[in-house]
Amino acid sequence: MRMEHWWFTARLRLRSILLGRRVERELDEELQFHLEHKIAEGLANGLSPKEARYAAMRAMDGLEQRKEEMRDMRRIHWLTDFLDDARFAIRSLHRTSGLTAFVVITLALGIGMTSATFSMVDALIFRPYPVPHSSDIVTLASTTHDTNLDDFSYREYLDIRDKTKSYDGVIANAGMEAVGFSAEPGATPRVRGGMMVSGNYFHVLGVEPRLGRGFRQDEDQVPGRNAVAVLGPDFWKHEFASDPGVLGRTIRLNGTDFTVIGVAPETFPGMLVFGHPDFYMPLAMARVFSTNLQKNFFEDRDDRELSVKARLKPGTTLQQARNELVVLAQNFESEYPKVNRSRGAAVYTQFETRTREDLNWKFGVIFVILALAVLLVACTNVAGLLLSRARARTREIAVRLAIGAGRFRLIRLLLTESLILASLGGLAGVAIGYAVLQWFQSFQNVIFMTDLPFSIPFRMDTRVLLISLALSALSALLCGLAPALQSTRVDLVNGLKSADVDVPGRKRLWGRNVLVVAQVSTSLMLLTAAFLMVRGFQHTLLEGTGFAKDHLLMASFDPRLVQYNAAQTQQFYKLLAERVRQAPGVQSEALTQNIPLGTDDFDGIAFVPDGFQMPRERENFNSTMDTIDEGYFETMGIPILRGRGFLASDTAGAPRVAVVNEQFAKHYWPGEDAVGKRIRLDGRAGTLVEIVGVAQTIKYQGSIEKPMDFVYMPLAQHPVARMVLMLRSSGDPLQLVQPVKDIVRALDPNLPMLHTMAYQDYYLNQAVEGPRIAMKLVGAMGGVGLLLAVAGLYGLVAYNVSRRTREIGIRIALGAASADVLRLVMGKGIVLVGVGTVIGLAMGFALEQLMNSMLFNAGGIDILAYIIVVPSLFLVTMLAAYVPARRASRIAPTQALRYE
Amino acid sequence: MSKPNDLVQGTLDLLLLKILALEPLHGWAISLRLKSMSGDVLQVSEGSLYPALHKLEQEGWIAAEWKQTENNRRAKFYSLTRLGRKQLESEAANWQRLSSAISRVIQFSEG
Repeated sequence: MRMEHWWFTARLRLRSILLGRRVERELDEELQFHLEHKIAEGLANGLSPKEARYAAMRAMDGLEQRKEEMRDMRRIHWLTDFLDDARFAIRSLHRTSGLTAFVVITLALGIGMTSATFSMVDALIFRPYPVPHSSDIVTLASTTHDTNLDDFSYREYLDIRDKTKSYDGVIANAGMEAVGFSAEPGATPRVRGGMMVSGNYFHVLGVEPRLGRGFRQDEDQVPGRNAVAVLGPDFWKHEFASDPGVLGRTIRLNGTDFTVIGVAPETFPGMLVFGHPDFYMPLAMARVFSTNLQKNFFEDRDDRELSVKARLKPGTTLQQARNELVVLAQNFESEYPKVNRSRGAAVYTQFETRTREDLNWKFGVIFVILALAVLLVACTNVAGLLLSRARARTREIAVRLAIGAGRFRLIRLLLTESLILASLGGLAGVAIGYAVLQWFQSFQNVIFMTDLPFSIPFRMDTRVLLISLALSALSALLCGLAPALQSTRVDLVNGLKSADVDVPGRKRLWGRNVLVVAQVSTSLMLLTAAFLMVRGFQHTLLEGTGFAKDHLLMASFDPRLVQYNAAQTQQFYKLLAERVRQAPGVQSEALTQNIPLGTDDFDGIAFVPDGFQMPRERENFNSTMDTIDEGYFETMGIPILRGRGFLASDTAGAPRVAVVNEQFAKHYWPGEDAVGKRIRLDGRAGTLVEIVGVAQTIKYQGSIEKPMDFVYMPLAQHPVARMVLMLRSSGDPLQLVQPVKDIVRALDPNLPMLHTMAYQDYYLNQAVEGPRIAMKLVGAMGGVGLLLAVAGLYGLVAYNVSRRTREIGIRIALGAASADVLRLVMGKGIVLVGVGTVIGLAMGFALEQLMNSMLFNAGGIDILAYIIVVPSLFLVTMLAAYVPARRASRIAPTQALRYE
Repeated sequence: MSKPNDLVQGTLDLLLLKILALEPLHGWAISLRLKSMSGDVLQVSEGSLYPALHKLEQEGWIAAEWKQTENNRRAKFYSLTRLGRKQLESEAANWQRLSSAISRVIQFSEG
């Protein structure tokens, strides 16, 4: 019944919309038909034709009103009215096409910037995991004094999985790591990204493999038994040309044969923000992959390498899950005090996890704030323009009001105009946003200089389009409402008499004054931010990194790719170092686990300074560390400030030694010499290591970082599988590539050389170009903001003054000197800019605090930024007030009075 | 035009539906029919008739069709739809209830 009803009426409404003219004609015809009969009736009653006609017309009670009533019955008048408004608005916008274009471009810049930056924040924080019911997925984290998002060990994971009741499954995964992959046993392995996951991973996430199956629980129980792998969708497409026959095939990972049992679906590129694993392996195969060589992955409770997620049971609250895990963590602590002292646990939602694990989102948030500021400036600009346009239409609006248009109806008409402007702006804005994101994508290879499958996740998807739509609607309201309200509040009598008259009283300029203040303050904030970022970056670049970057060749090796054991690995590096040192053109050689300012994170190390009174609740301290050989400090040009670097005599059998950086020495032994001091690894009962030297502090992770604690360990005493060879050359470092290749081939023809490049190139791309992209973006926003603000400010102030031309004429006619007039007009401008500056400074300070806390660690306030920004804005506003004021003060009073 | 017999609000719909239930008619004929059926008591002004007809049409209760009249003019004929018939039934029942209730009240006050 309802449905049928709907069907009938919808058809009729559609007809009235699409066949509007025909419906109108029929309406006419119907009434005409009636009228004729009415007249005929009159004639029959003996009236004259004229009288009959009049009587009939009177009976109809006004044909036009009837028609309008009947049109209303169609219940589409809101639509037809809107279409009429839109048609009218388009016509009037078309008449002032220059202004329209300016407004659209202005809005497009604001909306485009905002949607592009929002897409970043969305990808980094909000975009849901690509699994069904993704909001039920929570992250379980181990917490300590130093971090609230630590991993769990395999043993801990098993306990959590088996002892918690809040979840429909608990899963674990190791990080995505470089794995040597070959499709056939004989082929030279290539580096691809693999991820170890628990047996229930796909099942709990609700991911149905596109081909084959996911892992079974029993494939993850016995270490080393089930060598099976699930391929990622992209990898399957590119490596195997989407061949369904891949199921059951044998592939070789790190030298071990694995059977492909499934392919993950297109919809599941992985749970990481940036990385998309090429294949997944069960945790039970951990021995084949890169776990901590110093620990036993399956047994050691402090070998924390797994990130744990779980699916909340329906009806279980986050708080219940948290309480349960906290209790479990307390049990761990009392059961295993050695490795779990003062270690807690926490359960995080997706949002909480994302805002803790990766700090790039902070950049995104700053970008969004800046982009919103640009949008705000754009909106105030447009509001100002619409305001002046609406005032020029005072008479038109007065006429409309006089002949009976409702105020609400007129506001609707004016809002329709701004809605059309905003929609056009939104459309162009989406295009601009798309262009910005494309531009960003073009830096893919600069940002991720790695063989692993990383990609920039920013894109224009439905979510971003929706935001753009909302932004357009919002800006339509922002820039259209004030002008619409103000211009429909005209005094009819005056409005009809003059083409352009202000409402008398103080209220009239209020709106425009607010706009001026908003523009001054917002653009001040924008400029401050842009200045701070650029200067902060220059500062860090000038500060330098603390080591030499030129004449260095780098190449990575991972003997696990060809299944070396620990002893073979040590032997390989020993021979490699010896032989490359002899090669012509090589000045010095170094081996290091990680390069400074590289993509990979440094390892962490837990320790207790020997004889140090540990705080009661702490088991140990943490620091970042690197494993190097004896040539490292010389090759990298890092000065040893006290003591010595590593020597060839620091062998596996010799007493354990370490070198710390100056920051570390100052941190733990302020005012003392750190050389000769000792630390214990892991905890109070750990291995003793003597500090034999203090090296200068350098930049380790990124060019924007505060000085951090750092420990170096000699390779011979702290074996690591994956190392980077660094060679200092006398000439072009790339000339060493061939000789090194020959040496490596002689050692093992199957071992691939990875990431072979000049360190300088790498550094420029990685450490300089990356931040520079961010600077460009912020700079562009600052520039656009300033440009818009200056244009808008000038327009608003100049318009305000020029509107007072008549008043000024009267003042001059009454004997005011032009200096008085100038003072009057300029005084007003100064007050407005002053107020705007104060607000802008406050916002600028707030933003600076935010940026300091997030990115730079200077802490101080950058005075120079304000010294440059404030006066220049003042100058622009003064100029904008001065030019028309001067013209007005020079105008002959008779002319001024006739003005307008 | 004076409206001595202005219809009670809402009853016009009912009357129109009833008239059209008998046979499809055009607007002019409806106004004549209403007059004659009510013994010249009820009369609808043209000002109310057409908006009411359009409303009923938009509600889907009556359907319109252009047809030839007996003297070969094109006119818009309205006819009752299936939905309209249901509506007529419920409105008629409503009216019965209402009018009998009202007359009961009136008689009560007199008695």
